[in-house]
Amino acid sequence: MSTVFGSNHLRQRRKAPFRRWLIPSLILLCAFENSSCSTGKPPTEILSKAELDLRAASEARADELAPMDLQSAREKLEASKRAMAAGRYEEARRLAEIAQVEAELAAAKAEAEITRRAADDLRRRIDTLRVDSERSSASEPSRAPAKE
Amino acid sequence: MKLSIFFDRRAVGAALLLTASLSLGCGAAVRNPALERAKDVYNRARQDREVVARAAVALDRARLTLEQAERVWSAEKDVVEVEHLAFVAEKRVEIARATARRRQAADEIQQLNPQRD
Repeated sequence: MSTVFGSNHLRQRRKAPFRRWLIPSLILLCAFENSSCSTGKPPTEILSKAELDLRAASEARADELAPMDLQSAREKLEASKRAMAAGRYEEARRLAEIAQVEAELAAAKAEAEITRRAADDLRRRIDTLRVDSERSSASEPSRAPAKE
Repeated sequence: MKLSIFFDRRAVGAALLLTASLSLGCGAAVRNPALERAKDVYNRARQDREVVARAAVALDRARLTLEQAERVWSAEKDVVEVEHLAFVAEKRVEIARATARRRQAADEIQQLNPQRD
């Protein structure tokens, strides 16, 4: 009986280090899975999309018409590349998504500004034409009696 | 000794149950400030007739991002991801507003063009 108890006790003592490490290991594993350090897929697709949208924004004169949004997008893209190189894929993915949406916003703002300026310009030209035609039509009746 | 182990287990079990029930109970009420702000920004744009009429697709993209943020918040309570998605949704609302402005100006050009001729 005492030997049985003794062997059980010995088995329990052998199991103890395993049990001691099992729970902390599981907790660490869960924390690692939930943290931003978890290794997912490299966000190459969204990164190249962000690069394309940044180029499109530059072509839409965002440098001149939406400089702050474009600058922010460029900074996010660079930060995304750094995070990607360091293997922090979740962070890289988020930064690339922000870069992409900010580049899209910069382009949208620039395009809106260009169209608004074109509308203003057209309105001014029409006003000038109207004033000119009113002036000429006002001067015409005074010339008419002179001819007679 | 045995009794104390039993007691410990019961205490741990009760604590775990209490924590789980509290987190479940509070889960519905807990709100994410960034998500709430993004929803507010989106709802204000939804009330703007110009934005709804001229930038429906852009506004819909904002709605989809918001819905994704809500799903992540209710399922995972991932604060970092939800704040990120809320930020993206707000930017998408801004894009919708800029798109509406551009289309409004383009419409104005179309209306003015016959007058020029």
